[in-house]
Amino acid sequence: MGSSIRRAPVSDVSQDIAVEHHEEHESTGIDNRKLGMWLFLSSEFLLFGALISNYLLYSNRSGFAGTYPADVYDIPFTSVSSFVLLMSSLTMVLAHNALSTGDQNGTRTWLFATAALGAVFLGGQVFEFTEFIVQNDMTLSTNPAASAFYLLTGFHGTHVAVGVIMLLSLWGISRKQGGLSEKHGLNLELVGLYWHFVDIIWIVIFTVVYLLSVPQ
Amino acid sequence: MTAEQQNHEAHPTPAQYWKIAALLAVLTAIEVSLFYIDRELDLEIFNAVALIGLSTLKFIIVVGWFMHLRFEKPMLTRFFTAGFVLATALYLVLLSALGVVAVRGG
Repeated sequence: MGSSIRRAPVSDVSQDIAVEHHEEHESTGIDNRKLGMWLFLSSEFLLFGALISNYLLYSNRSGFAGTYPADVYDIPFTSVSSFVLLMSSLTMVLAHNALSTGDQNGTRTWLFATAALGAVFLGGQVFEFTEFIVQNDMTLSTNPAASAFYLLTGFHGTHVAVGVIMLLSLWGISRKQGGLSEKHGLNLELVGLYWHFVDIIWIVIFTVVYLLSVPQ
Repeated sequence: MTAEQQNHEAHPTPAQYWKIAALLAVLTAIEVSLFYIDRELDLEIFNAVALIGLSTLKFIIVVGWFMHLRFEKPMLTRFFTAGFVLATALYLVLLSALGVVAVRGG
């Protein structure tokens, strides 16, 4: 009897260890990948904060040779770009909502719409940069203010491009497999968080860099 | 019903998402209008305060509703807010020290 008493706890202990091991990884009650994404996005504030500060530092200094970014901004054009990116946040959240209700066709449609709107935003940025370089002779090396502008908006554009690639990947998986599984559901949520973050960073850039900049 | 399901049911409906997007579009239109009004009337500090206020409102709406932060566990809000506050404070101090942001007083 004694030996049976000893054997039983061995099995229980192994189960307890397994449970504790599981709880250790979700002791917060939040999936680790989701928590990791939120922490990553939180740390991105420091990165974009540095780039915005760099822009403010140089764009407010006079005396540099060449064209300043604020002298050549096309506010109506950038406003439309901002609207496009804002609406891509809507389509992203609609994709997430469609997946949570099991609407796979809706998920695919809204995912593609989000990627398409992101691509339109990127196209607008390429057009804007081309205009600045060709029409206004403001290149990356014109002056520190121009460099800071291209660095900030280019870095944001790179984030958008990465987001578009992730969205198209999810869209491709959904098409190939006939829908997104529960596992991919979390991936869609994480990509959505990243996408909305890119949007809120643009909300700040649009106001601070475009609308509040004073031409020299 | 699990907590997860209850949490999900608290999320906005697609119709509400469209309304939120419409509100964001209106706020953006007001921002752009303010930019042109300032060009004509020179609103000075009011323009900056209003633009930053509108931008902050848009920021909160996207984070709260589209990123669902207001429906998530408070810990995520604390982490995200901490990153934002730390970055904002750090760079405001830096820009003030370099004379880019004017600090009035004394």
